[in-house]
Amino acid sequence: MTKTLLTIVIISIMIQLFLNNSYAVEPEEFLQNPKQEMRARDISKNIRCLVCQNQSIDDSAAPLAKDLRILIRIKVQENDTDEEIYKFLTDRYGDFILLKPPFKISTFLLWSLPFVFFIIGIFILFLHNKKSKKTFGKFNVLLIFLFFSI
Amino acid sequence: MIPNLGNFSLWLAFCFAVLQFVVSYQKNNKSTLYFNRIAVNGLLLCAFLSFLSLIYSYLVSDFSVVNVFQNSHTTKPLLYKIAAVWGNHEGSMLLWILVLAIFNYFIFKLYNKTNSIFISKTLETQAFVTIGFLLFTLLTSNPFERIIPVPTNGLGFNPILQDPALAIHPPLLYIGYVGFSAAFSFSISAMSIESIEKVPWYNYMKPFVLAAWTFLTIGIAFGSIWAYYELGWGGWWFWDPVENASFMPWLLGTALVHSLVTVEKKMMLQKWVLLLAILAFLLSVVGTFLVRSGILTSVHTFALDPARGIYILVFIGILGAYSLILFALNSKKFIDKNYVSFLSREGSILVNNILMVVVCFTVFLGTIYPLIIEAFSNNKISVGEPYYNSTVVPIVIPAILIMGVVPLLSWKKIGVKKIFRKTLPSIVLTIIVTTIFLWIYQSYNPLGLIGIILACWVISNIVFTQNNIPKFSKSMVIAHIGISLLILGVTGSSVWQKEKIIRMKLNDETIIHNYNIIFKEIKEVVGKNYIAIQGNFWIYNNKKSIITKLNPENRFYPVTNNSTTEASIHTNLLRDLYIVLGDGNEKDGWVVRVYYNPLVVWIWIGAFVIFLGGLFSINTNIKILKRLSL
Amino acid sequence: MRKKILIFPFIAFFFVLLVFFYLLVIERDPSELPSVLIDKKVPTFETDSLLNKETFISKNEFGSEITLVNFFATWCGPCRDEHVYLKRLSNEKGLKIIGVNYKDNPNKAVEWLEELGNPYSDVIVDSKGLIGIDWGVYGIPETYIVNSKGTIKYRLVGPITKKKYNAFYSKIKESED
Repeated sequence: MTKTLLTIVIISIMIQLFLNNSYAVEPEEFLQNPKQEMRARDISKNIRCLVCQNQSIDDSAAPLAKDLRILIRIKVQENDTDEEIYKFLTDRYGDFILLKPPFKISTFLLWSLPFVFFIIGIFILFLHNKKSKKTFGKFNVLLIFLFFSI
Repeated sequence: MIPNLGNFSLWLAFCFAVLQFVVSYQKNNKSTLYFNRIAVNGLLLCAFLSFLSLIYSYLVSDFSVVNVFQNSHTTKPLLYKIAAVWGNHEGSMLLWILVLAIFNYFIFKLYNKTNSIFISKTLETQAFVTIGFLLFTLLTSNPFERIIPVPTNGLGFNPILQDPALAIHPPLLYIGYVGFSAAFSFSISAMSIESIEKVPWYNYMKPFVLAAWTFLTIGIAFGSIWAYYELGWGGWWFWDPVENASFMPWLLGTALVHSLVTVEKKMMLQKWVLLLAILAFLLSVVGTFLVRSGILTSVHTFALDPARGIYILVFIGILGAYSLILFALNSKKFIDKNYVSFLSREGSILVNNILMVVVCFTVFLGTIYPLIIEAFSNNKISVGEPYYNSTVVPIVIPAILIMGVVPLLSWKKIGVKKIFRKTLPSIVLTIIVTTIFLWIYQSYNPLGLIGIILACWVISNIVFTQNNIPKFSKSMVIAHIGISLLILGVTGSSVWQKEKIIRMKLNDETIIHNYNIIFKEIKEVVGKNYIAIQGNFWIYNNKKSIITKLNPENRFYPVTNNSTTEASIHTNLLRDLYIVLGDGNEKDGWVVRVYYNPLVVWIWIGAFVIFLGGLFSINTNIKILKRLSL
Repeated sequence: MRKKILIFPFIAFFFVLLVFFYLLVIERDPSELPSVLIDKKVPTFETDSLLNKETFISKNEFGSEITLVNFFATWCGPCRDEHVYLKRLSNEKGLKIIGVNYKDNPNKAVEWLEELGNPYSDVIVDSKGLIGIDWGVYGIPETYIVNSKGTIKYRLVGPITKKKYNAFYSKIKESED
């Protein structure tokens, strides 16, 4: 029994040495207030883990991710707004740390082009069908309605 | 000796490809057919020999070959030694060439008296592409380079990558990517030839496109399956640039398949087919570029080498410039009959094309935008999942709605009232089924609602038009059902997932969605090349009878000094129960993460059903081809 | 009319290829994150000094001469490798280097410095990594060049190696411009 425990401890240590002591968000990090905790997790899910590939700090096992998770929770408890927390992080790490690209002049094309492509697409549809304008009209309205309702 | 054979075969393959190019360029001589037969078969044989030589070198652990040394180890299980062949950059290039050669061979088989000019031009284009990749491999990425003195053992391989799903993922994907090369070649040929009206070029293109698209579908699915089962946090899609690189050709491939059907039946959308075939293949090569050039880092990327990147870039430039200019100049030859009416099958396919292309461009934009920003400023931005959720999802939804209606439409216009009458039973059924789902999962998330509605909508429409006009193909039905099942799975697992993260000591109990989980034991386990800590969890349902025992592990692999977490999953048709063991100790207990993932298995089932539909369709179309080639 | 419209996607396609080409041709590490603190004043912070009993107040330490700030820890292998170059910068070039002991055991750090030598004018303790976060540290070792006006001018991510030493020293000299 002691031998088994000892082996487990040793293997644990070896694994921890290589997996850096954490396995994504841990129970001890949770805030008492569930609303605050939800907010903290939602914010964390939008923050990129800088030393991982394509993971958020909420999912990541890295120590830096853990530090940032804890920091975000402290700020949430201090009633900072989401924008303030994001600004805190981007002031130090740049826009790269946000998984949702910000709305700025530099990302104007990024956010607007999909919509532009869609409109161009509708236009191309129109080009294919100069005769049935009526039907197209109805269809067009339907599509635009669907798009905006979402 | 064998590696030398492999290298020699590769050079010989290059010679055959050049022969094919030169001979096909001459067109319609008697000797063209004769020499092409030699070239095509020679190319195929050499590609196989080369590939098999590399496999052999891995199987015998010949560490004098640099590639084997870098990617293998004597303790590696047999299956993964073979998988390691295509799991690295150089080896995977051999796979590219082999698939190019195989598709090349099947293009050759199409020769008959009436189409020889067309097929020759197609073979010429295919040869050009093959030469491009052969030169790339020979000059920058030769897998048969040797190392002296010969090391005693290899550098092993990442243990996370030793998995059956991951082993089969690249070959399937490559049949997909590379298969679009045939579509590209057919498209170039169709636009270059005089009197193309005499040749049913779209009938020839279709089975190749179907093969590529079908295998791309299942290839992507296996990648996701692997991610879900292996990576330990239940995700299966990350909008990683390399994942996007496989998704974009798939989207265009979907549009292409549908457009080909329209060309066959109604001689419309020909320009779409020509352009989509070009773009699908160009995007495949761009995908290759992103992975191998070192321009970005990702779990998927191979080693960084700008020289390789520049070669591929120049190649894309040549292919792109030639094909797009050709399209701009010659596509007007292809005159489509009639105008499209939207309340018809061809109309909805056209709408679907637009939507697929818009999604594809959006994914492309999201993928390359960070690179553009980086080139123009010293900043880096991330374009992650939230971006794609906001942009792609709203476009996909109308596409699925339309897909639901399609079985009811015929190849000419139908009145709106008639459609409404036909869909009424489906609407009713959809409402009923949706209500049932909401009652079971008790979650009123709007996205979830939409997902379920879409899935039901598509299936009910298919069900209710079984006996009705118009006729539709068995493959379409199967593939569309597959998509609905996929949506069902995606919706359920994303929207209604439940997660519980707690610290448990031995004999502690926790509850998630009516399941009781008891932490029974912790012990050490020794595997073939790892040691692990294993937790034993007993799962009970609400009737207090035991359902299963789950045993998540944390493994340590001594050879590569890696650790991994192995989730333990219990799957049934309604949900997955997914447990991951964190770290901890006797005194404080262990961190345990439990997930309840509803309907997630339907994602994989859906993908398989789509794959089946694709296979049926390939079969049908090959029969059509055989009739044509008489 | 339609022909002319096709020019736009064509141009866009080649524009993208050019961007890719440019990114390949310049020397760049795709995994490296550029610092957003360049050309900004140093963050303000206070913490304990490792080797003496004093408090380190950042306001007092920057703004008079070129200063390097080096984030290190005893558990970091590359930090050990670059140590010899830090000593060269300190001894041969007479540069002031502040060492930030990042998320480390202070006793181990003291022993480590005794063993390898101490190139730092002062060593401060960042036990939770909060100072690191303020500087945008994401992977140690990282070394910042702060000019005599207290403005951050450059960051090196990763150890100072034989290859990088000269280029890094040039950056130090340039920081005064």
